[in-house]
Amino acid sequence: MNIDVLILFFNATLVTIISCVVVIGILKKQYLPVIQEEENKQRNAQNNNRANETITNDPEQKEGVR
Amino acid sequence: MAVGIMIGVLALYVGVGLALVKVIKTEDDFYTMGGRGSTVLIVGTLAATYLSATTLLGIAGQSYTEGPLVISALGSFGAWVGTLLAVVYVGRKMKAYGCSTMPDFFDKRFNNKWVSVVAIIIMIVGLIGYGVIQFIGAGIVLSEVTGVDYRIIVIIFTIAMLVFTAVGGMYGIVVTDTMMFFTMLMISVVIAPILIGQAGFDQMKNLAETLPGYWSIAGTEDRHIGWSISQFLVWILFFTCIPALVSRIFPAKNDFVILKVAIIGIFFAPFMQITVFLAAAAVRVLDPNISDPDYAMVIGFLDYTPPAIAGIGLAALMASIMSTASTLFVLVGFALSRDLYERLFDKKLNTKESLGAARIGQIIVGIVVCIITIIRPSAIYWISIYAGSIFAVGWLPTIVASFEWRRMNSKAALASMILGVTAFVLVGEAIRFNWLPVPEGIDALMISLVISVGALIVAAFLTKPNEYELRYYDTMKSTSMAKITLNEFMKRPDGLAQIKRQYKQIYAIAIIMTIITIGVWGYLFFMLGFN
Repeated sequence: MNIDVLILFFNATLVTIISCVVVIGILKKQYLPVIQEEENKQRNAQNNNRANETITNDPEQKEGVR
Repeated sequence: MAVGIMIGVLALYVGVGLALVKVIKTEDDFYTMGGRGSTVLIVGTLAATYLSATTLLGIAGQSYTEGPLVISALGSFGAWVGTLLAVVYVGRKMKAYGCSTMPDFFDKRFNNKWVSVVAIIIMIVGLIGYGVIQFIGAGIVLSEVTGVDYRIIVIIFTIAMLVFTAVGGMYGIVVTDTMMFFTMLMISVVIAPILIGQAGFDQMKNLAETLPGYWSIAGTEDRHIGWSISQFLVWILFFTCIPALVSRIFPAKNDFVILKVAIIGIFFAPFMQITVFLAAAAVRVLDPNISDPDYAMVIGFLDYTPPAIAGIGLAALMASIMSTASTLFVLVGFALSRDLYERLFDKKLNTKESLGAARIGQIIVGIVVCIITIIRPSAIYWISIYAGSIFAVGWLPTIVASFEWRRMNSKAALASMILGVTAFVLVGEAIRFNWLPVPEGIDALMISLVISVGALIVAAFLTKPNEYELRYYDTMKSTSMAKITLNEFMKRPDGLAQIKRQYKQIYAIAIIMTIITIGVWGYLFFMLGFN
């Protein structure tokens, strides 16, 4: 096996892998936390809506509310 | 027929460049194509810029003579990593800070006229040197191939470039670059396989029997490993901050485009270069008696591919020259008008005046470059030697320190830029005339880089940043492309869904490109790496 040829093709492969790792690192660090936070916000908002709907649909709760 | 096809393809670029004048309505359109650059356009312009006459003539010629590994195994690797840094580090940050040109950054960061002026002079000297020397080489080769007078070729080049630089600005450059990129890709996906197929992998490997060292990093000249490592460092430092690459990121639509470009564009860097170097080795098998190795690829196109393919090959060669040179000229034109004129004379031009000044700047640069190229003075070679490295010693330490170090200030920037460039010139000359003995293979750039960084650190510790510099540093630290892009997307009705879609898309691209890269390079290693 020619080690010098291996170095060339290893480096060519490595540079793509480095760029993928760097980009995925940026996504995980700078985008994922915001996505998760927004998802949580949406989930909480949905849960609150559902809870409100349950309250307004439940006659006993309606009485209680009154 | 080959020459006819080449001229037809070039006429198409010029036609598209002319047609694009209609879309230039504002300054932003002219300088950064209004921030509308898609992934395809930015990958195209980036790839077209890093494939230059140096690759297709100079390094291909060296691959023909000394073997394909001499520059590519380490030197080119430095260029690929440097390109990645130019995209994800320097370009991405400067775009986030709202820079339309690289000198904008120096202006925003220090608000100091002399820092801006020194930075712009470094840029003008570096870019003209880098552009003109390619132009001279290509003009000589193509005038011989086509039989057209050298001076006429140079004048045609200049006019063609002015059409899509002075008329279309960055818009014209990005769109025509992308068209040129697809032409250049023909060399890697059609012409190189044809040449390698004709030569045969076994015959290519057998070159090492008659030319010892042909398939080694040392090459047939048995170069010192220090030289190869030095080449790696030179290219990584130079490519990280060369405006021709960094400014490619400014027209990008958003951060997702930049991240996709970082993966796809970086794959194309080795793909477009290694295939050319291997094709040059194939030409060595097919025609071992080429007297001027710079002609290796041109002879390969003309003598060993069908005429139609040869025409496209020649058009691709011209495209590589035009895309690189036009980018350099457009940037120098911007620098002369927008950056230097406005800052030096403290004048603020309105949109119409600014566009007019930029166009006049480009025409002046075009004429100057055309004249220098026609005269071909020996001094231009002196400039070319410093052209690339001047950014590495003049700009890089200041840019990195400006991003990362709160204490960085205008005095440190001036000390680093002036001493770095001066040291590079003096050390280079001292080594050339054997006045300064250095270990074999060590480049003047390494020594001057140490001086540049040292001057920056000493000056920064002896002085203090002013209030503006501290305030801008804090502003920089609270700004990022990710934040800008997230804010922009979240304003849309289905913003979160779009962000998640982009997130998944980039992940998928990363996986696909990794598989492709392992497949392509694994196959070639299998064919060439075993005896």
